[in-house]
Amino acid sequence: MSTAAREFHRKAAEKAPDLVHRQVIQRNMVSYDIAVDKAKGRFRDWQAGRRRAQQIKWEAINNLDKLLEQFEAKILERGGHVFWAADAQEACKYVVDLARRRGVKTVVKSKSMVTEEILLSPALEKEGMQVWETDLGEWIVQLRHEPPYHIVTPAMHLSRQDISRLFREKVDPTIDTDDPQKLVAVARRFLRRAFFAAEMGISGANFLVADAGMVAISTNEGNARLTTSVPPLHVVVTGIEKVIPRLEDLGLFWPLLATSGTGQPITTYSTLIGGPRKAGEVDGPEEFHVVLVDNGRSRLLADPEQREILHCIRCGACLNACPVYRNIGGHTYGTIYPGPIGSVLTPNLAGIEEFHHLPFASSLCGACREVCPVRIDLPLHLLQNRRKVAESGIPGLAEMAGFKVWSWAMMSPQRYVFFGALSRMGMRMVKALGLSGSLLDPMRPWTKYRAALPAPRQSFRELWRKQRVVEKPE
Amino acid sequence: MTKIENPSREHILSRIREALRTPAPPVDMTPVLLEEIFEPVADPLGRFLAECQTNLMEAVITANTAESAERLAGLLTALPEGEIFLQDAPAIREIAKPLEGKRSLRWSSQGAPGESCQATVTLAEAFVAQSGSVLSSSNCGGRGASVVPPTHIVYGGVGQIVPDVTAALRLVNEKGLPDQSSYVGLISGSSRTADIEKILVQGAHGPRRLVVILQRG
Repeated sequence: MSTAAREFHRKAAEKAPDLVHRQVIQRNMVSYDIAVDKAKGRFRDWQAGRRRAQQIKWEAINNLDKLLEQFEAKILERGGHVFWAADAQEACKYVVDLARRRGVKTVVKSKSMVTEEILLSPALEKEGMQVWETDLGEWIVQLRHEPPYHIVTPAMHLSRQDISRLFREKVDPTIDTDDPQKLVAVARRFLRRAFFAAEMGISGANFLVADAGMVAISTNEGNARLTTSVPPLHVVVTGIEKVIPRLEDLGLFWPLLATSGTGQPITTYSTLIGGPRKAGEVDGPEEFHVVLVDNGRSRLLADPEQREILHCIRCGACLNACPVYRNIGGHTYGTIYPGPIGSVLTPNLAGIEEFHHLPFASSLCGACREVCPVRIDLPLHLLQNRRKVAESGIPGLAEMAGFKVWSWAMMSPQRYVFFGALSRMGMRMVKALGLSGSLLDPMRPWTKYRAALPAPRQSFRELWRKQRVVEKPE
Repeated sequence: MTKIENPSREHILSRIREALRTPAPPVDMTPVLLEEIFEPVADPLGRFLAECQTNLMEAVITANTAESAERLAGLLTALPEGEIFLQDAPAIREIAKPLEGKRSLRWSSQGAPGESCQATVTLAEAFVAQSGSVLSSSNCGGRGASVVPPTHIVYGGVGQIVPDVTAALRLVNEKGLPDQSSYVGLISGSSRTADIEKILVQGAHGPRRLVVILQRG
């Protein structure tokens, strides 16, 4: 078992029975579900919208080279820069060198999962630069030195009391309120100073629009608007898979993303940036850079069966729908992308040796597939990842031998009856001896927190033989 | 401007091309019309006003320039002391006349809005009925005008309302905005966040108030 797998098991066992955690997540998910249902009602046919979105992303990913070149040409034409980064290290080096060259001391960032993925902030901080996350939730987890709990709502796991306490400790000792309005005002005042002091703004991208050559960024707070308007230098860091072919496609994707992400009809600031400030414009950055990050994506592209994972628009709907995510929470995964999409992406991007356990962190209930706005068949990809794990030999000799024994026992009716009777007897004995839930109980992972299952005296086969009334043919 | 070094560009592109040589399993490509996905907007003005309410925006309908000027003056005089930033455009110069001498005005031709400005007044490229949005661009007083102040006031005509987001994006293309303006944005309400316990709070980083003055005719 890898270190990541051991940590995962430990944290999951800790979080699942944590009632406070459960309550906070429940409250978030209930309001999310209500909002999403309402927003879906604004569509004449939500399913038709999903189908169209799937078609557009299929077209985009299967023409990725042409569309990226089209996008790049437009940006260059307007005096912007496009840098292609093969991996995290190359991407970080480019941004750090740029910042150093421009004498940057303060950086403001609007939310970007790709920058989390490539560990950009630590790279800039190592150079002595001050980096501020400006999305409220992201800023809160930054102050806590924690990764985001959720890809859309990073501080979902915290109550207003937690946040009030945090602000009192880290921002202003005189704060004595847990009124969200007042807490937001604290953040606004603090981050305003950062926006106007920063020499560099870093954003992600929700979409790269190929025909227009523009980057689409959605935020409700307007923090991405300030990040991309006020500092003299704007850097977009994004994955190569974010491309869509046409500007008009956003007529579907903007409402779709907002509906699945937060249950809004459209994100408050749905923004397009095409380059640096033009001659004659009132404001805007003098320099504009787009960093296109591969970091394993082209490898995923080469697998035609799993290529559609790259259709993902990072709305977070599959996290919210997942019964595993709802029980163990976002931090347990120990990955940048948690939940079903994370369990599909991470073993492919960050290595199956370390993250072999993630494809199994699912009941394969299919809820993620039902909610995915671009109709990614997530359970299928979880199964394909499971196959990759089994074929790699990672499970180890003991597990392989176990399955060999199991299949040997299953292959003959006599052996099946024998082992069935043996395990029923064992279960009854554990219970009779009062060992349920103890270290000696083979069913301990279940019985530790739950009542022991009643062990039947008779097998299904025996019951079948006794109770079935055979209808004699005429 | 110097051309940047791009050692991995060709490498990444060739990997993508190589990968795409094996086709992906096809998906259902039966064409889906936009009318199947969204109900076409029948009454653009009515829908726009309803959506403004949903988005917690204020919409004011006026009959003529004189009334627009009056409403604008009313809005601005109620605000605390401080500078007002205005897009330097003839239509705004016209409705801002009554304010001259009464408030300190700064025009976009004099530079970007300062952090301390109380409100901004700009035009819009269009308005979107489906989502109750203001279509804005760098031409509308710049990038900061719609996000720096606590109050943003947008002045436009009822005739500028387009039915839906797709129509707005079509207009962006027709006007050539992608090449002509470095920023284009769809603004659908005041700045907001629900990052604390999913409770909606207005005025996160940008305006707490977004007001649209829509003139008939």
